Amino acid sequence: MAVAGGVLAIGALILGGSFYLPTGGGYAQVGPGVVPRIVSIGLIALGIVLLREAFTGGFRGVDEEAEEKLPMDWVAFAWVSAGIIGYGLLVERAGFVIASTLLFALVARGFNSRRWLSNALMGLVLAIIVFAIFNYGLGLTLPAGVLAPLLK
Amino acid sequence: MDTWGQLLQGFQVALSMQNLMWCLVGCMLGTAVGVLPGVGPAVTVALLLPITTKVDASGALIMFAGIYYGAMYGGSTTSILLNTPGESATIVTAMEGNEMAKRGRAGPALATSAIGSFVAGTIATIGLTFLSPLVVELGLKFGPPEYFALMVLAFMTVSAVLGESTLRGMTSLFLGLAIGLIGIDNQTGQARFAFDIPQLLDGIEVVTIAVGLFAVGETLYFASKLNQVEEKLESIKGSIWMKAEDWKRSIGPWIRGTLIGFPFGTIPAGGAEIPTFLSYAIEKKLTKHPEEFGKGAIEGVAGPEAANNASSTGTMVPLLTLGLPTSATAAILLSAFQQYGLQPGPLLFESNSALVWGLIASFYIGNVMLLVLNLPLVGLWVKLLQIPRPQLYAGILVFATMGVYGMRQSSFDVFLLYAIGLAGFLMRRYGFPTAPVIVGMILGPLAEEQMRRSLSISQGDWSIFVTHGISAILLAITVVVLLAPFIAKQLRKRKAA
Repeated sequence: MAVAGGVLAIGALILGGSFYLPTGGGYAQVGPGVVPRIVSIGLIALGIVLLREAFTGGFRGVDEEAEEKLPMDWVAFAWVSAGIIGYGLLVERAGFVIASTLLFALVARGFNSRRWLSNALMGLVLAIIVFAIFNYGLGLTLPAGVLAPLLK
Repeated sequence: MDTWGQLLQGFQVALSMQNLMWCLVGCMLGTAVGVLPGVGPAVTVALLLPITTKVDASGALIMFAGIYYGAMYGGSTTSILLNTPGESATIVTAMEGNEMAKRGRAGPALATSAIGSFVAGTIATIGLTFLSPLVVELGLKFGPPEYFALMVLAFMTVSAVLGESTLRGMTSLFLGLAIGLIGIDNQTGQARFAFDIPQLLDGIEVVTIAVGLFAVGETLYFASKLNQVEEKLESIKGSIWMKAEDWKRSIGPWIRGTLIGFPFGTIPAGGAEIPTFLSYAIEKKLTKHPEEFGKGAIEGVAGPEAANNASSTGTMVPLLTLGLPTSATAAILLSAFQQYGLQPGPLLFESNSALVWGLIASFYIGNVMLLVLNLPLVGLWVKLLQIPRPQLYAGILVFATMGVYGMRQSSFDVFLLYAIGLAGFLMRRYGFPTAPVIVGMILGPLAEEQMRRSLSISQGDWSIFVTHGISAILLAITVVVLLAPFIAKQLRKRKAA
């Protein structure tokens, strides 16, 4: 239901936005607002039908029973999420190697591996290898961060 | 120049030391990501898009194509040994192949699928070689309204025909179209839906979307749902070679699978799912050993695997000749062409004939490489399957975030990646297909361009799409494709009543 509502909301957002864009005129005859309007109307229509399905017994063809058998593991979900968001926060401050090591350890924990130390070490080695290949081999710069004195 | 001459010229390009190396790298990477659960060819090609700034066009495209069809070979190994198909097209292989493996016949199952893939890939490449010039000829007659109609048809078949729900497929497509809108309008230079966020002005990179939906979404889903399910990896016992009887029982299915798969790939109906199921059904009907089906019949592996491979090669026909991608990976290949300022289509065959034919020639070479990589060296890839899940997914995410962050050096992209990953998780949970999102976002802006170009030819008159013969026919087919399932359902209801 929330999913259907979300589709509807995106459609409304784009429809709203399309009013700020000119739809006609000019040499091209069709302005940059026309296609957004078509897309938004499509999304709103689809959102309404999805909403109707959601209210009348769920989305068609989704095996809800099979889904119920596998309960949602929110703890695992949170570990993986924390890993990615932490990476986004850390990559520029602490640098690529530290952010990647932490990401590796948190995702592995999300998959129920409790060997923190060995996972962190594995992540560290992988991160250093990737860092070396990209910075020295391919000339793409990844941020060294606080480890800069060690890595340069 | 005739087709033969052009193909020979293509081989000259593809057989250069450098391009042979790119082809080999692509095939190996492709097999590896095909074998590994959690990453697919779409994510891999997307993550490697930045190399287009360093490598010349023919080398990079040969490698990307190698990843694309290499993943088909690798995917079958996983579905035979581990009953969790990496992609929807290998569901059927998983059914029969895993049963064979359980009965100690993993070797012949792997062999028939590798050789079948080779036979199908090669025949389909021959088909591609001789069909492409004909389609190019046709494509040269197309104007903007025809292209627009063709793209609309591709949109509908990709989103409506595949998957269990037309409604959810269409929703995915429209979400993709909406993502494609973000950024600067390429005809008037006006910013659309950037919400004054400077990072959105350039649009959302396809890498972020593909990696978010496929890698991050998949990891979230696997961690929170599937990690509770035990997996059993079958080992390869005995010889991997097929006995005379296995050969006899495989040849027919290979050929029939190819003949079913290739046409399905070439029409813009995308997806290898339908042809594999069709091939399975046909082999089940024709076999002399019906009792073995469901318990590991070799025909049930040979046919669908050939169909799968032939259709993936067939997908190259609309992509190269008309610029129409009909799968997620094909859409990302299209954006690889765009990185070089190239637009696949009939004109590319004239302006960059060496590149296109070099690419086609590399398919012949790549298929031979893959046969060698996947048959004698299969043990090597099985080792990859033994990587424990926690470390595998952790490693995948390290590469995924690095690729997305490294592209623009912006942590905004990492948060965007997570948001798209959340969307991917919800889509997976509620059965929304993800491929239409990618096709929509890449093909959408091209379709808009053709539409607006048509309308400026007709001076704003929308009837141009129905007064041009070919365009009208294509749009009519689109409507039929879209409405046929509904009408069939209504008819069945009336019959039942």
